[in-house]
Amino acid sequence: MTTSTSPPTADALPVPWRDESVMGFGMSVGGPAKVFRPQSVEEVAAAFGDVRRQGASLALRGAGCSYGDASTNRNGHVLDLTGMNSILSFDPATGVAECEPGVTVRDLWKRSIAHGYWPRVVSGTMQVSMGGAAAMNIHGKNNYRLGAFGEGVRSFELMTPKGELVRCSREQNADLFHAAIGGFGMLGCFTKLEIETKRVHSGRLRVWGIVAKDLDHNFEILEDLHGEADYLVSWVDLHATGASLGRGLMHRADQMKPGEDPDGLRFYDPALQDVPSTILGLVPKGWLWPGMWCAVKFGQVGLVNWLKFQAGFREERQSPYLQTHGAFHFLLDYVPRWQWMTKPGGLIQFQPFVPKAEGPQVLRRLIEICQRDGHVPYLGVLKKHKPDPFLMTHALDGYSMAMDICVSKNTSKRDSLWRTCREMADVVLDAGGRFYYAKDAVLMESSFSRLHGGDAVAQFRALKQRWDPEGMFQTDLSRRMGV
Amino acid sequence: MMRHGGRSDKRSDRGTRLELQSVAGPRLLANMSPRKGTCIVVGASSGIGLALARRLAQSQRKVAMLARREGELEAQAALINESLANEFAKAYVHDVADVDAAEGLFDRIEAELGDVDELHFVAGVMPEVGPDEFDLGKDRLQVQVNFLGAVAWCNAAARRFQARKRGCIVGVTSVAQDRGRIGRPVYNASKAGMDTYLEALRNRLWRVGVQVTTIRPGFVETPMTAGLRLKGAIPADKAAELILGARDGGKAIAYVPRKWRLIMFVIRNIPSFVFRKLSI
Repeated sequence: MTTSTSPPTADALPVPWRDESVMGFGMSVGGPAKVFRPQSVEEVAAAFGDVRRQGASLALRGAGCSYGDASTNRNGHVLDLTGMNSILSFDPATGVAECEPGVTVRDLWKRSIAHGYWPRVVSGTMQVSMGGAAAMNIHGKNNYRLGAFGEGVRSFELMTPKGELVRCSREQNADLFHAAIGGFGMLGCFTKLEIETKRVHSGRLRVWGIVAKDLDHNFEILEDLHGEADYLVSWVDLHATGASLGRGLMHRADQMKPGEDPDGLRFYDPALQDVPSTILGLVPKGWLWPGMWCAVKFGQVGLVNWLKFQAGFREERQSPYLQTHGAFHFLLDYVPRWQWMTKPGGLIQFQPFVPKAEGPQVLRRLIEICQRDGHVPYLGVLKKHKPDPFLMTHALDGYSMAMDICVSKNTSKRDSLWRTCREMADVVLDAGGRFYYAKDAVLMESSFSRLHGGDAVAQFRALKQRWDPEGMFQTDLSRRMGV
Repeated sequence: MMRHGGRSDKRSDRGTRLELQSVAGPRLLANMSPRKGTCIVVGASSGIGLALARRLAQSQRKVAMLARREGELEAQAALINESLANEFAKAYVHDVADVDAAEGLFDRIEAELGDVDELHFVAGVMPEVGPDEFDLGKDRLQVQVNFLGAVAWCNAAARRFQARKRGCIVGVTSVAQDRGRIGRPVYNASKAGMDTYLEALRNRLWRVGVQVTTIRPGFVETPMTAGLRLKGAIPADKAAELILGARDGGKAIAYVPRKWRLIMFVIRNIPSFVFRKLSI
């Protein structure tokens, strides 16, 4: 039996939809849509009622940080939840926060670190919203240890298309709980989430930079350290070939034990955690992307990667060093608007998840395919993962390699990139691998069952039929995958 | 911009030291006591008070943390002790508006943590006040907490420190005390009252070697100022660092950060008939 509260009666309210261009974070997919930004649960219900009356489709969108089309809905309606961004409560004794869906990771850590807590799972940017993070079940650099974002969600309230609020937790409506987390906004809209944070004993982490001379060395380090390190992530230079193919710089970070870093006490001040906004106190970082744009435009990305790799040796010599949580985690926020360097075509991210046994060989094969076809990613990030109990999970016991690739405005080059990605996707799916919808832009309908397994897909479709029988929740992603 | 501001700060700071020395005698106020006794921080559950408590505990001092909100206060004291793996901080739930309780609580703290030789009074309330609002309830609370509370705690400390001929009192007022402005009449007045009281206390106590330092903070990022969008606000921890620096330097009055000395010099010297027409 479900516990649902009666729908807020706001059916008659006119909803001011606005025509806007809604794109994925990578700026390469998306299109025009009617957008509304609700401020309250009542307004969400009113928007649902309005879309149902029109028989239209609705995409749920948080901060819009999904690289691909997970929160876009060409020529449809988009509900942008960034306006519902209050932290309703934070318990300093347990570190549990009650959040509206538009609360960002930044809002959450700003509140929690002042009390000695840090979110269990954070992404490489602090811009993402709680609703979006739960819907995509995002992971961080500690996925192999603490699992995905959903493992830190205690409970949530989900609004169904009819405007009912359904409370879900591991005990209550457990099937919906495990399907809505990672359910990419297909079952309902999170209106309130109860999120756990974890205790830290300093405002800083101890960080090591470790040079990995090739791909196998990267895997070796991951396997050696995953038992003791709290965070592991490797930047990989995907331009390197031959013996140094897959070389990179691994970052390991450990939390402090009580008493280990007395000076770290003062870094609980949220103002000391923020990523610095200037370089050397002078150059605003917002101005960096044009320089990076030039590197892309004039084909010097390989050189930039080489320089970064060489700088890794220096970092290794200076390790370990102390770094605030914010500075360690939010690398993508160091250079604001960095994605603009890929203008005008934008970028896609291709992030395959590969089982442990096949990982090294499959990922090597993918790098070779990219290099063969001339679509070398300008950035590669290798992480280790563990399975989780969510129905549509992307995580597995193995590794993932995030590959950021520039997209050309030239149609034939763009098509060639999509062909390369689909060839790589086949290699991954043949090996029993998976993909992550916050990143994907290229998979096809035929991949949906291969990716999740027939049982999971049948269960998910049954839940969709039960909670959203008219198929109101749709995105460009869900249509592409034939959900 | 910032560098320029920094230079003018230094100049005005030099002026201050000279002034201080001519009034109080050479370095009389500085480093009077070996800093190892218990500290009391009133208003320690958030903002500048919390940052001060953390820095004092980190320098291995016993810290009595006082604030009204029990859950927040206990959690912050526990966090300090956990992070340092040592029992430096202790929470004492106390409502500053309850001025009669100060003496008794001071005794209890000394009984539990040992002799106090440093008091930081950081508690303060700043309710939203509309331009046409004259609400005695809000005003009374500000006088009770910001002024009477400060008098109660500083009196309690002054009596003991005077008898022992050592100790240090740091009172956090505000740059808002320098002028009466249209925005918050009683906040300005309560802080001005506290500021003048601290000056009198300083003049009484320097003769027996007890230091009284007045801190006038400018824009600081704290929960109290969270809704105000203050440009150029400094982190609370930075404010705490500057306050402890002023304590160590034996300063009589310190603006935090220092550039506010210059800003307030200008604002103080705006003639009244001009000032009343401004919106600051």
